[in-house]
Amino acid sequence: MMNHSLKQIEVQKELFEVVINFSDLAIESKEVELTLGYMENKIPKHFSMLIDEIISELPKRCSIKTGYRILQLKKPPGKNDGLFIGDTFFKMDKIVTGQIKKLEKAALFVCTIGSGMENWSKQLLIDGDAAMAYLVDSIASLTVESVTNLLHDFIENEMMKNGLKITNRYSPGYCNWSVSEQHLLFSLLPQNFCGITLTDSALMLPIKSVSGVIGIGPKVKKKEYLCDTCGVKDCTYRATRRNTKSKKHI
Amino acid sequence: MSELVEKISLCVERGKVNKSSPYPKDLSGQDGADELTKQVLDLGIGPDIILNACNIGMQRIGERFGRNEVFVPELLMAAKAMNAVMAHLKPFFKSGAVKAKGKLILGTVAGDLHDIGKNLVSMVIEGNGWEVIDLGVDVKTEKFIEKIKEHPESIIGLSALLTTTMANMSKTVHEIKSQFPKMKIIVGGAPLSQKAAEQMGADGYAPDPQGAVAFLNQLAS
Repeated sequence: MMNHSLKQIEVQKELFEVVINFSDLAIESKEVELTLGYMENKIPKHFSMLIDEIISELPKRCSIKTGYRILQLKKPPGKNDGLFIGDTFFKMDKIVTGQIKKLEKAALFVCTIGSGMENWSKQLLIDGDAAMAYLVDSIASLTVESVTNLLHDFIENEMMKNGLKITNRYSPGYCNWSVSEQHLLFSLLPQNFCGITLTDSALMLPIKSVSGVIGIGPKVKKKEYLCDTCGVKDCTYRATRRNTKSKKHI
Repeated sequence: MSELVEKISLCVERGKVNKSSPYPKDLSGQDGADELTKQVLDLGIGPDIILNACNIGMQRIGERFGRNEVFVPELLMAAKAMNAVMAHLKPFFKSGAVKAKGKLILGTVAGDLHDIGKNLVSMVIEGNGWEVIDLGVDVKTEKFIEKIKEHPESIIGLSALLTTTMANMSKTVHEIKSQFPKMKIIVGGAPLSQKAAEQMGADGYAPDPQGAVAFLNQLAS
């Protein structure tokens, strides 16, 4: 299902900002509960009330910014350990390269919900309310993931207009793709694009930001994440995917 | 009197911080860990008995967490109740009436900002009578080294949640061991395992806060 009401602005050739408002999202308390590990109706009422309170605060504490850039994709001959995106070589596990190596283009994307939620969580921790801080942090993570889902759908819709399809999205830090390669990814975007910067150790600021790459091509399709074939058995992302529903759409 | 001490364990396990706390619902309006600790101290019961009661409560909630009967929010409320007890016991640690079992320098490694697990471990270990020096998240190796020089008697705890920051963890372990060969290091975090910990040269691996406590207590004994 695609969201046809989002708008994009071409900032430079093949570089876009996509306008996503909070009203475009649908953050549901049930999804939050599942993410935390609680099966249907098993969460103590106290925590479900806190979750409702936090969700009601989201609109005023989120500042959503998203964008993407289309670049050429090239597999280096005779090598299976990475890909060229633009002129930059990214060292990636075959879990990622296997999905996108036959494509010709990639969309490098970033999303953020700003620093409002992270600041709230930090203050709650300072004030000694670790449980509330954890819930705020968890809901913020779910929110930025929802924003990323919308952007992913939007890019899919845009590519479909040209008869192209897209892959799953892959981010540095997951699927054995080194988090240090965030620096390479960000080198291909304008400085401070969507208000996101990187620390020396490759952490994005604001913290509740997502970056990654999506493959684009005529014959590609989105597949299930290959968690069952990945060598990292204790990946927390695998556990998260097991506990949540499929992504939400408007 | 033992009934009051047992109630402290229950309040810690259930996350009942104080009388005014609405959580958990079935203990609403009753004295919490805060009030009960004061009552027990006023009766002349030693802080070590109270600390033991705390440990029992955290042990119980830790076991329930391990069985997926409760999740992180309940664990954090239990830790908050334990902190309410510890607030009363801090003067005893300061005066030396109760000695800390040792020191743990704890941090999430460089490139990783996940801290919930680390914070839980920090709270549980403090409740078990250890002094914790928490360096926060995204901690470079140099900062760990600097702290070790200030507190050479410490044990080191490293946390990571991303599979790719395990490489930073491995470098940190290697660097610490090369400068301080006798330093004991425990590692933890979702992508880790006993095997991964051994491969990187760590002395211990804990999949949960209780595991970390067991490792530390074994070193202290």
